[in-house]
Amino acid sequence: MELSPRWRKLAGDLRNARGRLSMMVLAMAVGMFGIAAILSAYTILTREIGRNYLGTNPASALIEVDQVTDELVDAVRHRPGIANAESGTSLWARVEVKPDEWMPLLLFVVKDFRAMKIGMVRPESGAYPPPEGSMLLERTGLPLVNGKFGDGIRVQTPNGPKRKIVISGLVHDPGLAPSWQEQTAYGYITLSTLALLGESGTLDTLKVTVSDPSPNVVAIERTVAGLAGWLRQQGYSVGEIRIPPPGKHPHETQMRAVLAMLILFSLMALVLSAVLTASTIGGMLAQQVRQIGIMKAIGARSSQIAGIYLALVVLMGGVAVVLGLPPGIAAGRGLARAIAELLNLTLYSEAVPGWVYLVQLIAGLLVPFLIALGPILRATRITVREAINDYGTSIRTFRSSRLDALLGKIRGMDRTLLLSIRNTFRRRGRLMLTLGLLSAAGAMFMTALNVRAAWERNLADAASDRRYDLEIRLNGPHPEEKVLAIVSSVPGVQKVESWDIDPAAANRHDGLEIARTYPDRGHGSFTLRSAPPGSRMIQLTMLGGRWLPPGDSDAVVLNHMALRIFPGVKVGDTIHISVQGRQTAFHVVGIAREIVTPAAAYTSPEGFHRALGRSGQTNAVRVVMKGHDEKTIGAVTREIERALERERISVKIDFSETRLDNALSGHIYILIFALILMSAIMAVVGVLGLASAMGTTVVERTREFGVMRAIGGRTGTVMRNVIGEGVFIGLMSWGIAIVLSLPLSAGVGRLVGTLAFYFPLPLVLSPAAMIIWLTVIFLGSTAASAYPASRASRLTVRETLAYT
Amino acid sequence: MTAKPLISMNRVFKNYETPSGSFAALRGIDLEVQEGEYVAVVGRSGSGKSTLINVLTGIDSPSSGEIHVASTAVHNLGEEELAKWRGKNVGVIFQFFQLLPTLTVAENVMLPMDFCNTFPPGERRPRAMALLEKMGIAEQADKLPSDLSGGQQQRAAIARALANDPPLLVADEPTGNLDSRTSEDVVRFFSSLVNEGKTVVMVTHERDMTRYFTRTVMLEDGAIVEETEAKAWS
Ligand SMILES: Nc1ncnc2c1ncn2[C@@H]1O[C@H](COP(=O)(O)OP(=O)(O)O)[C@@H](O)[C@H]1O
Ligand SMILES: [Mg+2]
Repeated sequence: MELSPRWRKLAGDLRNARGRLSMMVLAMAVGMFGIAAILSAYTILTREIGRNYLGTNPASALIEVDQVTDELVDAVRHRPGIANAESGTSLWARVEVKPDEWMPLLLFVVKDFRAMKIGMVRPESGAYPPPEGSMLLERTGLPLVNGKFGDGIRVQTPNGPKRKIVISGLVHDPGLAPSWQEQTAYGYITLSTLALLGESGTLDTLKVTVSDPSPNVVAIERTVAGLAGWLRQQGYSVGEIRIPPPGKHPHETQMRAVLAMLILFSLMALVLSAVLTASTIGGMLAQQVRQIGIMKAIGARSSQIAGIYLALVVLMGGVAVVLGLPPGIAAGRGLARAIAELLNLTLYSEAVPGWVYLVQLIAGLLVPFLIALGPILRATRITVREAINDYGTSIRTFRSSRLDALLGKIRGMDRTLLLSIRNTFRRRGRLMLTLGLLSAAGAMFMTALNVRAAWERNLADAASDRRYDLEIRLNGPHPEEKVLAIVSSVPGVQKVESWDIDPAAANRHDGLEIARTYPDRGHGSFTLRSAPPGSRMIQLTMLGGRWLPPGDSDAVVLNHMALRIFPGVKVGDTIHISVQGRQTAFHVVGIAREIVTPAAAYTSPEGFHRALGRSGQTNAVRVVMKGHDEKTIGAVTREIERALERERISVKIDFSETRLDNALSGHIYILIFALILMSAIMAVVGVLGLASAMGTTVVERTREFGVMRAIGGRTGTVMRNVIGEGVFIGLMSWGIAIVLSLPLSAGVGRLVGTLAFYFPLPLVLSPAAMIIWLTVIFLGSTAASAYPASRASRLTVRETLAYT
Repeated sequence: MTAKPLISMNRVFKNYETPSGSFAALRGIDLEVQEGEYVAVVGRSGSGKSTLINVLTGIDSPSSGEIHVASTAVHNLGEEELAKWRGKNVGVIFQFFQLLPTLTVAENVMLPMDFCNTFPPGERRPRAMALLEKMGIAEQADKLPSDLSGGQQQRAAIARALANDPPLLVADEPTGNLDSRTSEDVVRFFSSLVNEGKTVVMVTHERDMTRYFTRTVMLEDGAIVEETEAKAWS
C-alpha cells in the first residue's frame, strides 16, 4: 500500500535532515547502550551474587569453643532457633610461592567434605574430597602460588615444620574475596592432613545457621547469645563469636553502591541524549513554521501535525533502541563477567530478565516522546497567520546586547571571533544543552581520573603513615627481648620494635565476644595492639584527641575503623575491650585515621599487659630496614625468617608494604574503568550534540553567510567563524567541567573511600585529566563544527540567498 | 437578489496590538457574496486586503463582528474546528510558500484529502491526477515543487485548493509573483471554475482584468470604499 502524503512528508523530512537526525539517533543509541549495559550488569550481578553466596549456605555465626565433638553438634542442632550446626576450624598458615617467599594461607579444616552443609564450597576440578596429605585450593589462589594443579607445594602451620603437600583439586568459595585481591591463599584440608602438617587436630569452631528464614543481625545475635549461654552451662568455654552480615556477600554492598552510581550516570546520559533529540526536532520545527502554516491552511489540525513530528521522534527512539540495546546488553554481560571475576563469583546464568528489555524499550520510546512533546505541541499550535505572515518571524529577537556591548569594547579582537562569540550566545537554550552535555562528560571523565589519583594518594598517605618496611607476626608469643635481639642482629635491619597484637572484641554485658567478621577473618576484624612508647613507626593523622601518652596503662587510641565496632564513641569516653575472655576498661584519648588497616585499638605496653596479663613477650614485630626497595625487603625478610627459625620461633605471616599495595589496587580499577566508559558515552553524546547544534546554526545563518560572502568574505572566513563558535563552546564546557568535577570527585571519592576504607578519599585534582580532556574537547569540537562549516562554505552566494 | 448569500460579513473589525498602540486593520466591513460570484478585492498595499481574506478563511480571528460562510458561523469556531472546516469548505491559495518542498506535486494535491479524510485512500491519487490534468500540469505530477516554474507551482496550488471540492476558493494575490501572461491564465482559470458553480474571492492588482470578475471590492484603510458590479458580460 502506498504511504499517505503526510507520512511521505515525514519520510522526506527524514531524508532532508538525515545527517542531523542520524547523529541524534546515534546519540540516543549511545545513551541506550550505556543504560542497557549498566542495567543488565546490575540485574545479572545482583541475582548471581545471591545465588553464589546463598548457594554456599553461609553460616549465620561461627562460635569458638574448646572442642566441638559430634555429640555437641547433634545437641546444638536441637537448640531453639538453630537450623543446622557443623564443626570446623580454620588456622593461619603460610605457603611458599617462590623459593623462600611466603604468602599467608588460611586453612579451612573440614571434618567431612561430603557431608558439608554450612559454608559449602563447590568443587571445580580435581579430587573431591582431597586425599590425605593433599589440599584443595580456592581457585583464585592458583596463579598466586605459582602452582599447578597436582603440584607439591610447601606449607607451614603454626606448630609444624615446612611440609610439601599436593594441590589435589580446586574449589570455588564464593564467600571469599579473590586471593589476588587479598594476597592470601585459601586451602581446604581434612583433619588427618592437618595432623600430618603437625597440628593437634581439634575442631574448635561451631558453625551454625539459624532457622529464621530472613534473619537480621540482632535476631541472630539473640539466638546465638542464647546458644552460647547454654554452651557455657554445659561446661564449654566460649571464645570469639563471629556473625557476618546475614545473607550478604562480603562485597555486596560495595558492588550495589557502585552499580547504582553507574545507573544514575547512564540514566543521565540517556535523558540528555533525549533532550538533545527534542531540541533538534525543535530546531527542525522552527525551520518548518511555514510548512506547518500551509498544512493548517489546507485543513490539517494541530494534532495531526504534531502526530507527524511525534512519530518522527518515536521512530528515532525506536531505531536507537534497536541499535543500542543489543550491544548494550552484550557489553553489560561483559561488565558483569569482569565484576564477577573481581568478586570471585561464578555467573551461572547471564540471562537478562525480560523486564529490563521492556523498561529499555519504554525508556527508548517514551523518554524522547515525553521530552519532545512540549516543544512539538507548542510549535504546532502556532496559528496560520503567525506562520505565514512575515510578522511571525520577526517576533524572535536576539537579546544579548549587554554582552555585545562588552565584547565590542574589547579592542583588537578579531572580528570573526567576535561574531562567533556573539553568535554563541544567541541561542541560549541550545547552548545550555550542548554545554551541559559536554561539561557533564568532562566532569565525569575528570572525576574518574581524580578519584584514581585520590585513591593513589590515599594509599601513599597510608604508606607514609606506616614508616616500617615489614611486619612479622609470630605463632604465639615469644620472649620479647629474644625476638628483638634475633631480628636486630640480621644484616640490613636498621630498627625493630615489638608491636604485640591480639584479636579483641567490644565487650558485651553477657561477657560474650561477638565480632562482625566473615570466615576469611579479614573483613571486619578487630585487634588490640601494644604500641611502643615514642615509636616513630606509625604516625597517624589524629581525627580527635591525641596519641598515647607514655606509661598510661588506661589510655587507648582507636583507629577510625574501630569506630564501627564502638559506634558513637568519642574522645574521653570509657570503653570495654575483651581479649581472650578478659574484659578491660580503657579510656579513649584519641581517634586516628588509619587507612587499609582493620579496626584496631592502640594502647601502651602497660595497657596491653593489663588487658592480657602478658608482658615481656611479643607475637609481632615491625622492622625498618636500611634499604627500602622491594628486592632488599624481600632478601632481608628471608634472612629474618631464617634467623627466627634457627631459634625455633615460627612465623605466622609477614606483611610488606608492596604486598599491601597489590592487595588494594585491584579493588578500584574496575570502577575507574566504568566511570571512564560512562564519560566516553557522555562525550560522544556531547560532541554529537555540538555537531547538531552547529549544523542548525549553519542552516539558520545561511543567509548571513551568503551576505558575508557577497561582501567579500572568503571561504576561510566562514569556516573560521563556525569552527570558532564550536571550539569556543567546547572550551567553555571544559572550564565548567573542571568546576563541576570538584563536587563530583568529592562525592564519588566519599562513596568509594567509605566503601573501601570506611573513610572518604581526599579531594585530589589530576592535572593530567584536565589536559587530556582539553585535548579531547578541542579535537572533538573542531571536528564537530568542521563538517557543517565546510558545507556552509561550499554553498554559493546565490544558493545561500535563495535558501528558504 | 433573493438567494441567501454564501458569504456574509457583518461589521467586522480587526485590531492589531502593536508596540505603538492598537492598530485597526479592518474597520467595520459589511460584505455579502452570492454563490457563483467571482469577487476581486483591490486596494493599496496595507489597506487590509490580506487581513480581510484571513478573517474570512478563519486564518485569523476578527476582533468583533460576524462572519458566516454557508451555514457556518466562522467567528465562533476554535482553531481545530476551523482547520477542519477550512479543509473541507474553502480552498486557500497564497502568493508564496504554497507547496511542501519534500512532497511531489501529486502528493501535495493529495494532502488535504489525507488530512480531512475525504476520499477513500485508493481514489486520492487518481483524483489528484485528474485535478492536475485539468490544470494542465499532469506531466509534472511526480516532480518536486522546486522543479516547477512559478506559474506551474501556482497551478499545482490551485489543484490542491480544489482537492476536497470546496464550494469556495479564496486567494491572496495568487498572481502577484507571475508574469502578465501567466497571470491572465490563472485569472481566466478561476473564471472557468466560477462557471462550474464555484465561488471565488481573490485579492489582485490586475486592474486590466476586471472583465473577468463579477464584482470588484475596493479597500482603503480597512474599509470598503467602492463596490463595482461588473458589466453583465457573462
Ligand atoms: N500581525 C500584524 N501586526 C500588526 N500590524 C499588522 C499585522 N498584520 C497586518 N498589519 C497591518 O495591518 C494593515 C493591513 O495589512 P494587510 O491586510 O496585510 O494589507 P494588504 O494585504 O492590503 O497589503 C497594514 O498596515 C499592516 O501593517
Ligand atoms: Mg497583502
